[in-house]
Amino acid sequence: MRKLRGGSQETENSVMIIEDYHHKMAAHCESGSITSLLNHAGMTITEPMVFGISSGIFFGYFHKMKSFAFPTFIVRNKPGQMRKNLHKRTGVRFYSKDFRNIDSGQIALDNLVLSGIPTATQVDMFYLDYVPSWERVHINVHFLVVIGKEDDLYKVSDSYFPNVVDLPVGSMNKARFAQGSMSPKGFLFYPEFVPPSFDYEKAIRKGIKKACFNMLCIPIPFLGIKGIRLFAKKITDWPSMARDTEHLSHEVMKINILLEDQGTGGAGFRFMYATFLQQASEMINKPELKALARELMEIGDGWREFSLFAARIGKNRDLGPDKFKQMSELLYQRADKEEDFFKRLSKTIK
Amino acid sequence: MKEKDGYSDCPEQQVILYVEKEDGKYGAMQTGSYISANYIDDFFFKRGNLEKTLQEKIERGEINAIEYYRVLEELTVSELASRAGMMKWTVKRHLKPGNFNKIREASLKKYSEVFNVPIEEIAGRQSGNRK
Repeated sequence: MRKLRGGSQETENSVMIIEDYHHKMAAHCESGSITSLLNHAGMTITEPMVFGISSGIFFGYFHKMKSFAFPTFIVRNKPGQMRKNLHKRTGVRFYSKDFRNIDSGQIALDNLVLSGIPTATQVDMFYLDYVPSWERVHINVHFLVVIGKEDDLYKVSDSYFPNVVDLPVGSMNKARFAQGSMSPKGFLFYPEFVPPSFDYEKAIRKGIKKACFNMLCIPIPFLGIKGIRLFAKKITDWPSMARDTEHLSHEVMKINILLEDQGTGGAGFRFMYATFLQQASEMINKPELKALARELMEIGDGWREFSLFAARIGKNRDLGPDKFKQMSELLYQRADKEEDFFKRLSKTIK
Repeated sequence: MKEKDGYSDCPEQQVILYVEKEDGKYGAMQTGSYISANYIDDFFFKRGNLEKTLQEKIERGEINAIEYYRVLEELTVSELASRAGMMKWTVKRHLKPGNFNKIREASLKKYSEVFNVPIEEIAGRQSGNRK
């Protein structure tokens, strides 16, 4: 055995496991991967802080899009944007690369891992063998960290799982080179430079300002607060778009999955952003942020109430027009609350 | 949300929630997925019904096996075409019930990779319409 960079170990068979990489579950795959990689590189930062500085909070509603079989929504900024925003605001520099073919993508990933560098890669969740069948859907924007390779198995630190998992090389290649919208193209990244310190106050302010801008000012009718209102308006059309009651029930229950289950930390990232605001309030000594954090936690409780309501009516097949009207009203309330909240947050941080 | 309200019992699917701890600080807690803990049986019930309905449609000649998997995996025609690396109109032609036997082996292989099922399984689903 030979010691490599970062306390890693290699045997004669090129087996490598980066043993000092600390696997930790996280709320979200992208912010979780970035946080773990930065922590491994020696930077002390929390997942909510990464999420907040990179302006992760967002909302977008897509009623009809060629890549979605049914209306859907997002509750975070564009995949990849967290890494870019973090670089701009903290000075962390990431090495990143995508690939034209599977062979070069695999060789690059293997070389990095075998030289002791934990590397994040973008995958389609559908091909990950360790994911339970009911969670396997075609989502091209899942991130995981590869921390080792043993013969034909990658050792994977996936922030949605409590332990390090194994993934065969064939499945990893399928997942990294899946086609379709936002195809990963084998994309990988790792932090190549971490500054010894950075101006937290400036980074936090910029992160909050951009988040407020995204929620309040983007002049596109389906993004930000406008997106929540559009969702509230259009959700009453859902029954006419479904094949049958069970399909409608499935889509309504997916609201709960998108808000609570699919790596958001609960309430569509609102709880995680509230945690960021509370941490930020202490770091930059701004007590107003603490009060706003509490308020956002309450707004999040309203989102959770909405998502639990959706799960319940979906399960009971109680999907009459009155229930959709009720969901619409709950969404309008969320939009009003969040508009007021982000306006005040924006003023507080000026 | 208070920490005690976030708890769900589902060892098969763990998630991280950010909650208010007893000391008033917000932080992460590891718990089970709420929807999997409470409603996973319903998911499999609906999935089973959908599989059955689609299989019956294949047997009646209303759809073919490619359409079966497309609907099951919630892919639009555009998305399926993009994932399989084919033109949309080609996929549309392949999706017509009577055209399954005209699909080339190479195209079937592409579909099998997208759906992550062997070609034999797709062909078998077509109930003997293809060798």
